[in-house]
Amino acid sequence: MSKRPEQPEPVVVHHVPPRKKRAKEPLRMQLNLTSMIDVIFLLLIYFVITASFTADEGVLTARLPQGAGSPSQADLKPPSIPLDIVLRSVDVSSVHITVNNRLTADSFSQLYDLLISLQKDYPPDNPLLIKPDGQVRWQHVVNAFNAAVRAKFSNVAFAAQ
Amino acid sequence: MAKHARQGATPQMNITPLIDVVFQLIIFFMLVNNIIAEQSVQMIVPRLDHSLTHELTEGERVVVNVAPGNYAPSDRAIDPLTFDGRAHFVRVGQRTFGMDQLDLVTDELRQWKARNAKVEVLLRADAALYYEQVSPLMTAITAADIHTVNLVAYMPENENTQ
Repeated sequence: MSKRPEQPEPVVVHHVPPRKKRAKEPLRMQLNLTSMIDVIFLLLIYFVITASFTADEGVLTARLPQGAGSPSQADLKPPSIPLDIVLRSVDVSSVHITVNNRLTADSFSQLYDLLISLQKDYPPDNPLLIKPDGQVRWQHVVNAFNAAVRAKFSNVAFAAQ
Repeated sequence: MAKHARQGATPQMNITPLIDVVFQLIIFFMLVNNIIAEQSVQMIVPRLDHSLTHELTEGERVVVNVAPGNYAPSDRAIDPLTFDGRAHFVRVGQRTFGMDQLDLVTDELRQWKARNAKVEVLLRADAALYYEQVSPLMTAITAADIHTVNLVAYMPENENTQ
């Protein structure tokens, strides 16, 4: 085609049309998808962000009151005296923590230090019982449990009310 | 003239597969969001010092929600614990029970366990609830012959690692 000189049109037009027209037309018939893609990307970003917000929660695996999961641990061992962690509510945001009725802790990181120091006398598989009173907030109960698990105690249970 | 028209038309991208993929992603996230939202009740779960919480492993799970009273998120933004400590209802999966129907909770959990013995039970209680409200529920879960439970709390934040 490029070799075509500046010639009178009629001759060329007469030969070319059928094939050329067919090749060119589909290209002009395309949809404009740009705005749709904009919207879809916005939706995508929205769902990605909200999905990651809900994944914020994790779990701590715990044993339940009376649920003596594996009795085999107690075999062939002298009965061990459980470590008691007593929680008493003081006001809304604070609790009074007592371990074995004599040692006290002001915070849950102190409770952790206390439990670490007690491991001289109490092996990690020694039963540990968390005894909150009725008005203690659930957050403090789970916090005490977390401190015990963090101190590597493997046999932690909650006292039933 | 013919040459000019063709040059303008060629450099178009074919975005059809891109749109396919993006649609798939959107549908995926919408479904996942719905599944998570269906089993969750609005509440503030405990926030822990030096938290050891971990993600749940794969497998079937049932969430036992112990719901507090209704609240607007802004009411509890500063101190989530300053709130009524009484539980209002229990939701197991998608079924709701009153606090006086804990024997029905046990029955429901027994059915879950009968369907899949390895089902993971998540105990999701609000941080402000009194222990005396949550404790009977733990007894109800034990009565369904389930001896371990996963306590839901927030994942550790960076500030806790110090």
